[in-house]
Amino acid sequence: MRILLAEDDAMLGDGLRAGLRQQGFQVDWVRDGLAAEREISTGDYQAAVLDLGLPQKDGLDVLQALRSKKIATPVLVLTARDTVPDRIKGLDLGADDYVLKPVDLFELGARLRSLVRRAHGQVQDLLTCGQLQMNLAARQVLLENQPVALSTREFDLLHALMLAQSRVLSREQLEQQLYSWGHEVESNAVEVHIHHLRKKLRADLIQTVRGIGYTLRYNQAT
Amino acid sequence: MVLLPRLKSLQARLLALLLLLVTVVWLGAAGFIWVDASDELGELLDGHLAQSAALLIVQQTGQGIGASDKGGEDTDEVADAPSLHKYAPRVAFQVFHEGQLTMRSANAGTAPMAQKSRGFSTVQLGDRSDWRVFAARGSEGDIQVFVGEQIDSRDSILWAVLKGVLMPLLYALPLLAVVGWLAVRDGLAPLRHLSQVLAQRQPNALEPVVLNDLPSEVEPVVHSLNALFERIQAMVAAERRFTADAAHELRTPIAAIRTQAQVALGAGSDKAQRDHALQTTLAGCDRASHLVEQLLTLSRLESSSNGAPVGRVEVASVAQRVAAELALTALAREQELALDAPAKAFIEADEMLTSVLLRNLLDNALRYSPDGARVDVSVTTDGKQVSLRVEDSGPGLSEAEMARLGERFYRVLGSDKTGSGLGWSIVRRIAVVYQARVAISRSERLGGLCVTVCWAAVPEKA
Repeated sequence: MRILLAEDDAMLGDGLRAGLRQQGFQVDWVRDGLAAEREISTGDYQAAVLDLGLPQKDGLDVLQALRSKKIATPVLVLTARDTVPDRIKGLDLGADDYVLKPVDLFELGARLRSLVRRAHGQVQDLLTCGQLQMNLAARQVLLENQPVALSTREFDLLHALMLAQSRVLSREQLEQQLYSWGHEVESNAVEVHIHHLRKKLRADLIQTVRGIGYTLRYNQAT
Repeated sequence: MVLLPRLKSLQARLLALLLLLVTVVWLGAAGFIWVDASDELGELLDGHLAQSAALLIVQQTGQGIGASDKGGEDTDEVADAPSLHKYAPRVAFQVFHEGQLTMRSANAGTAPMAQKSRGFSTVQLGDRSDWRVFAARGSEGDIQVFVGEQIDSRDSILWAVLKGVLMPLLYALPLLAVVGWLAVRDGLAPLRHLSQVLAQRQPNALEPVVLNDLPSEVEPVVHSLNALFERIQAMVAAERRFTADAAHELRTPIAAIRTQAQVALGAGSDKAQRDHALQTTLAGCDRASHLVEQLLTLSRLESSSNGAPVGRVEVASVAQRVAAELALTALAREQELALDAPAKAFIEADEMLTSVLLRNLLDNALRYSPDGARVDVSVTTDGKQVSLRVEDSGPGLSEAEMARLGERFYRVLGSDKTGSGLGWSIVRRIAVVYQARVAISRSERLGGLCVTVCWAAVPEKA
C-alpha cells in the first residue's frame, strides 16, 4: 500500500515513515502543504496521513482544496488540535479519520488499512477472490486455506490487483503503487513479480491483457 | 443637574429639568408682567384721579358762583354724590370750600382725607384700608378737592391680569409633562434599542453591533463598543491560537519520542534502524526538556514582570560568557561565531535575565543559519545607550515573518529546526521588563538577520 505522509516535524516524520514501513506500507514523506496537495492530487496514493499545522498551506486548506477537486483519496488527519470544533471541522472538510498525536504506530497502520478497505467497499480486513484470501493486517495470503509466502512487492502487487477486482491495471499503475520515492524501478520489475506470483499461486490466476496490463481472473474454476 | 435630585432614569431627569425650566421661565414672565403692569396701572389710575380732581374743581367753581347767585341758603348743606357703579365704594372724594366741606361721596369721611393740600399721597382711612389720595386746590385757593381710591382695587386689577398669565401654566404643565415624557421617550429610543440588542447577545458574541439610523449622540458609544469588541476578539483569537499552537508544540515532541521508541522496538534485527530510532528518541527528549525550560522561563517572566530584579549589568562580559557557552555548538556545525565588545557597557537589568535574552538571540542565529554560516555579535556604547547587535549570514526573514516573530510558538515555517518557538517571546518579554528596544532588520554586512537591542546606558558606579 502506498501512503503519502505530510508532516513538517523532522523527528516525528522520520519515526512515522520508519514505523509505517515496518508494517509494510510504502511511504513517501512531504513536509509542506503545497507538496502534500500536489502529491495527493496525482492519485498515486491509496491513502494520506495529513498533519494540520503544515508550512506554506495549512492541512485543512489542503484537504478542502483536494475535496473541491473531487480527489477522493482517503485522508487521515493526524494532529495535536484536539478541540471538538477542530475535529468537526476536519471531518466536515472531508477527512476520513481524525487522530490525535501522539498515536500508536500499529493503531495508525490499522486505521490506514481500514480507510483503504472502506474506500474500496470492503467491510473486513480480508480480501477474497475465489479460493484466494488475503489478510491485510497479518500480511498473509491463503490459497485453498494454505498459506503462501510472498515478498513485500509480490504481496503489494497482488493486493493492488485484488482491490481493482475485475479492472485491468496497467504496468505503470502497478509501478506507482508498488514503489515509493528513491527506489530504482527496473523496466521489467512488474513482469518479474507477476512471473513469481504465477509460480507461487496458480498460473492462470493473473491474466495478461496484451498491450494494456493485468487483471485477476474472478470467474476461475473453484 | 446639581439642583435636581439624583434621578436614575435619564428620561425622568430630562423631564424634571424641562418642567422646572418651563415653570421658572413662566414665573419670571409673570413677575415681569406684575412689575410692568403695576407701574402702568398706577400711572393710569393716578392720571384718572388727577383728572377727576380737576373736573371737581372746575365744576365746584362753576357751582360755587351759581350758589352764591342763588343766595347761599344751602351753603350749610353737604351734597352727597350718588353711588353709580360697583367700583363706587372704592372711590371717594371730598370738596372743601373755604375750609368747609361742601360735597363728598357717600363713603368719604368729613375730615380731609390727606394732610397734604396738593399732590398724591397714600393714607390709611377709617376701616384701615389703604387709599391713594390726590389733593388739589382751585386757582383762587378757596376750593380744596380730595379724590381717593382704595389701593385694594388696584391690586385686584393686577391679580386679574396675573391670573390670565398663570392659569394657562397650571393647565399647560401636566400637558407639557405628558408631551415631554413622550418626546424624551422617543428621543431615547435608540439607547433603549441598543441596550436591548446588547442584552440579547450571547455572552461570547464578539461581532460588532450593527444598528441602523444611529443618532449622532449614540454613534460614538456604539463605535467605542465595537472597537472594544474588536480588541477583545483579537485577544481571544490570540489566546485560541496560543492554545492550538501550544497543543501542537507540546504534543509533537512527545508523539515523536513515542513513535521513534516504537520504531526501535519494531526494528527487530535491523540494528542500524534501531540505533537511529533510539538516537532520535534521545534527541526528542532533549528537545522536550528544552521546550519545558523555555516555557518555565516565559511563565516566570510573565508572572513577575513587576518585581523583576534590577542591578548593574555589564553587557560585554555577559555577551562574552554566553558566546563562550554556545561556541561549542557553533564549532560542531562549523559556524563562525565572533564577538566584538571593545568597551565595558553598563545597563540597569538583571544579569541572569540579560544572559537569557542574549542566549536566545545567539541560539536563534546559530540554529536557523546553515552549517558554516557566520554569526557576529557586537556590544557598543556611546555613553547614552548600549547597543547589542547579533548578525548572521543565514537566510534572513521576510517582512511578514519578522512581523510574526515574538508570537508564542511561532516558528519560521519550512525550517526543519527544532526550536521551541518561544525564544522570541522570551527576548521580547525581557526587553519590555527592562525598557529595552528590539529592532529586527536585514543584515547589510552578512545578508541574514540583524537583531539590535538597545538599553539606556548607566555609569559604572552609581
